[in-house]
Parts: sequence; structure tokens; C-alpha cells
Amino acid sequence: MGKKLMSNLEGYRSLWPRRILVIFSSLVLFFLTAPLVILIIQSFTNESYLSFPPPTYGTRWYTEVIYSEDWQNATFLSLTIAIIVTPLSLVLGTLVAFGLERGPKKGKQTIQAIMISPMVLPHIVLGLGLFKIALQFNISDSLWAFVPAHLTITIPFVIVTVGASLQTFNISLEEAARSLGASKFWAVWYITLPIISPGLIAGAIFSFIISFDEFIITFFLATFQRTLPLEMFSTLMYQVKPSIAAVSALTLAITAILTVVLMFRGQVVGGGKIIK
Amino acid sequence: MEKIDNNKISSWWLLVPTSFLYIITFFIPLITLLVMSFSRFESSVTTVGFYLDNYEKILTDGITLKIFFQTVELSLMITLFCLLLGYPVAMLMRRVGPKARLWILLLVVSPLLTSIIVRNVAWVLILGRSGMINDLLISWGLISKPLPLMYNAFGVVLAVVHVYLSFMVLPLFAALSSINNSLEEAAASLGAKPLSIFFNVTLPLSLPGIMAGCTLVFILSMGVYLTPVIMGGNFVVTLPMLIEDAVRNRYNWPEASAMALLLLVAIGIMIVISSSIQKWVKS
Repeated sequence: MGKKLMSNLEGYRSLWPRRILVIFSSLVLFFLTAPLVILIIQSFTNESYLSFPPPTYGTRWYTEVIYSEDWQNATFLSLTIAIIVTPLSLVLGTLVAFGLERGPKKGKQTIQAIMISPMVLPHIVLGLGLFKIALQFNISDSLWAFVPAHLTITIPFVIVTVGASLQTFNISLEEAARSLGASKFWAVWYITLPIISPGLIAGAIFSFIISFDEFIITFFLATFQRTLPLEMFSTLMYQVKPSIAAVSALTLAITAILTVVLMFRGQVVGGGKIIK
Repeated sequence: MEKIDNNKISSWWLLVPTSFLYIITFFIPLITLLVMSFSRFESSVTTVGFYLDNYEKILTDGITLKIFFQTVELSLMITLFCLLLGYPVAMLMRRVGPKARLWILLLVVSPLLTSIIVRNVAWVLILGRSGMINDLLISWGLISKPLPLMYNAFGVVLAVVHVYLSFMVLPLFAALSSINNSLEEAAASLGAKPLSIFFNVTLPLSLPGIMAGCTLVFILSMGVYLTPVIMGGNFVVTLPMLIEDAVRNRYNWPEASAMALLLLVAIGIMIVISSSIQKWVKS
């Protein structure tokens, strides 16, 4: 009896033999990451065409991209939009997360579902509707259209990430600060916000990257202006040149650096405030 | 009787700025699309009213409906591949120690932090006519003509799976890690065979995660525009491409709106199906 039980347990454990799981998963993770590594390698070609592995290496295409006015303008526009959108999205989304967490339990779920619903709406549909409205207000092809459009898709991510942090936050800490004479605002500022900073940082990173990466909505709204994804798209449709690989690698670097910086700064700021 | 705290109600003021934004950028656009979809478009003039012209055209012209079903088929295929590739990874994440789990999680999430168009460019460089794979195979003398790896459904499915796989692994991992190990061990101790434990215990218990992941990936795939255009050329046509063409090239807002509504209805049906499967399993 005991022997049979043991062999059954053993059998269960070896059902998905670890080795097969590890090998299969490694292949999947390789599939996820290898294309980006290959892209970076190809971007350092010195030839006028793309090939793998490149016959000679160099930074020729990076130089060309960095000094090209089209790419400069597109990068500038994308950064401008993302830099306006990120703080606005963080503030608006955090307010909503607080409102939902501190508000009545009754109806909370329905309201939360409505507030994050832009998340599940396909961007092609949202872009179509926004384009119509922007035409009506005569603001298409300007920041007045791009920024609110991007906010609509970034705010739900802030609501989710900050909301998750708030749920694990122990409210008695804030109440302690208030009982010691802190006003509601400063109690939240010095106690709550530093503690939920992981959620805030995640929300900010998501906002920035989603805005920086957004394609189809901006594609509808823009006529002459081009963000980085739009410029990449039109170049790609015309010809696959090494410059597109260099721009892609640079975009990758921008998002990677920003992610690291935001995480690092967030930790430092959060830590500082707790000590204060 | 629950007493409603005024102090708590006042917290809802914090929702006002975003609600105001949503009204302009979310609700009004959606209502506009709904109204437009019932309007009439004749010799470049749009008449608002209650006409069923656009829906009639979509359902009877033979092309739109065919492309719609192609889009559904493509999305189902993408969802299936994401599930098949993602499930073992989620299983492994549940089995390994916390440190290894964090590393796998990092690798799974990292694509979310990189631009979709950048990832598509990477696939063009790998699968294109003079991409990496064809380059290598020709230089090794294995093939003489480049293989058609993109500008077809294969390229589109591969690239979209690459983009959305993370969205499948995360809910799967959440569901799998909430299963108590002792349930499977109990089944084993009662004499159940490994395969039957997997199909009778592990798989059903992870069903909420499977449904959440599949619904999410299906919805995202139905609306994806960029990747099919880049990877499919003009050889793979999807509903979002028709919508874009109707508005930007033909200025036919009513027809584009009706197609957008069709897309939303398909997504709505998927959500209803997945939630009723979950309810059916629970009971």
C-alpha cells in the first residue's frame, strides 16, 4: 500500500519531467528574446544592406540616424508627448485609484470596471472614434489631440498598478500620522505615497512606454506630424534599410534606460521620504 | 441596512477629472461611432438617421464577412499558440525556486517594455526575403531560392504570438500558483495516474487563468493592425485593415463605424462565452 502510494506520487512528480519543461521553456524564452538580440547585432553593420552576421561592424547607421532631421523631429515629438502624458496620467490615475479604494464598497466594482474599460477596447476602434471627434473640434494633427488620446489608454494602467499597491497598504499608518496632527494631504504625501511607490513607478513606466509606443491612434490623428513609430512604419513600408535597425535599437535603449532610471530614482525618492 | 458614509462618498470626487476626460475621449467617440454606423453614405455625403445600409452591405457583399471570419480564425490560431507555448512556461515558473522564478518572470515581461514596432522590425530582419534565416540557409547551400517566411499567415501569426505571449503567461502563472500542491498529491495518493491528475486536477483548476489569458489575447489579436500590415504585406487582410482603408482612403465613416461595431460585437461574444464557460465549470 505505502509502496504504491509512493510510486504514484513519484509518477505525478515526473509527469512533466523537469528536464522537458526546462528545455521547452528555454526555447520559448529564447523565442521571446532572441529577435531583439539579432536586431541589435544587425544594427551595427557597416554595409549598405542588412545581413546576418554583418560582414563588417561599425556605427555608420547610428551616425546617419542621429544626424537625420526626420528622425530627430519624430523622436522629439514622441518624447514631448510621452513627457506630457506620463505625469498627467500618473496624477489622474492615482486620484481614481484613491477614490475607488477610499470610497464606498457599494458599486466599487462597477465603477472600477468602467474606469479601466478603455483597456479592453481595441485601439483601432478608439482611434477611429477619436479621429472623428478631433476632426469636429479641428484639433487633429496636434498635441491637443495626441495627449488626451494617449491619456485615455495610459490612465487604466495607472489605476490598476496603483490600485494594487493601495490594496496592500495599511491605512492605520496614515491614520497615525493624522492623529499626530498631519493634515490629510501631508499624511498621504509623506506616508502613503512613499509606501505605494512601487505601484506609482510601475504606472509611470507603463504610461511612458505605452505612449512612446502607441501607433494606430496616433496614425489616425496625425496628418503631417510623425511620431517615432509612425516614422518607423513609413520607412519600413518603403524600404528595409539598416537605418531602421539602428533606430529600433536606439528606441530599445531609450525605453530600457528610462525603465532603469525610473526604478532607481523611485527607490531613492521613496526611501528618502520615509526617513523624513 | 448599510449606512452610507458621507466621508466615503466624497472620495468619489477624485474620479471627476478622469471621468470628464473619458466623456470626451471615450464615451462620446463610442456613441459617435454607434450613430455613424446607422447613417447613410451616398456619393460622399453622410446622412445621419436610422439606416441599416452599412450592416446590410457588410453582411451581404461577401468580402467583408469573409475577411471578418479570417480575422477570427487568425486570432483563434494566435490564442491557441500562445496557450501552447505559455502553459509550460507558467508550469515551470510554479515549480522552480523564487530566484529562478523572478528571472523567468523578467524575461517574460521584458517584451512588454519594448515597442511593438521594434519587435516587428526584428522579425522582418529575421524572416524577410533577404532576412537572416534565408541568408543563412542559402549560404549553407540548403536552399537555392528564399523561403516565403513572411507576407503570409505564418509570419503574421508568429509575430503576433511574439507580441502577446506575455499576456498569456501572466494570468496562467497567477492561476497555477494559486493551486494548492496537496490537491494533486492527494489525487496521487488515491491512486490517480499522472496524466489523469493533470487533466482532472491541475488543468481544470487552472481554467480561470486559461480563460482570462485566452480572452485577453483573443481581444488584442482581433484589433491588431500594425503587425499584420508589416508581416502580411497585402497578402493577409484583417478587419482592422478594412476599417483603416474605409476611413483614410474612402472617407466612408458610416461603413468604417459599422465594421468597428462588428469587431466590438465579436469581442463581446468572446467575453460572454468565456465567462459562461467559467460559470459552467464552477457549478
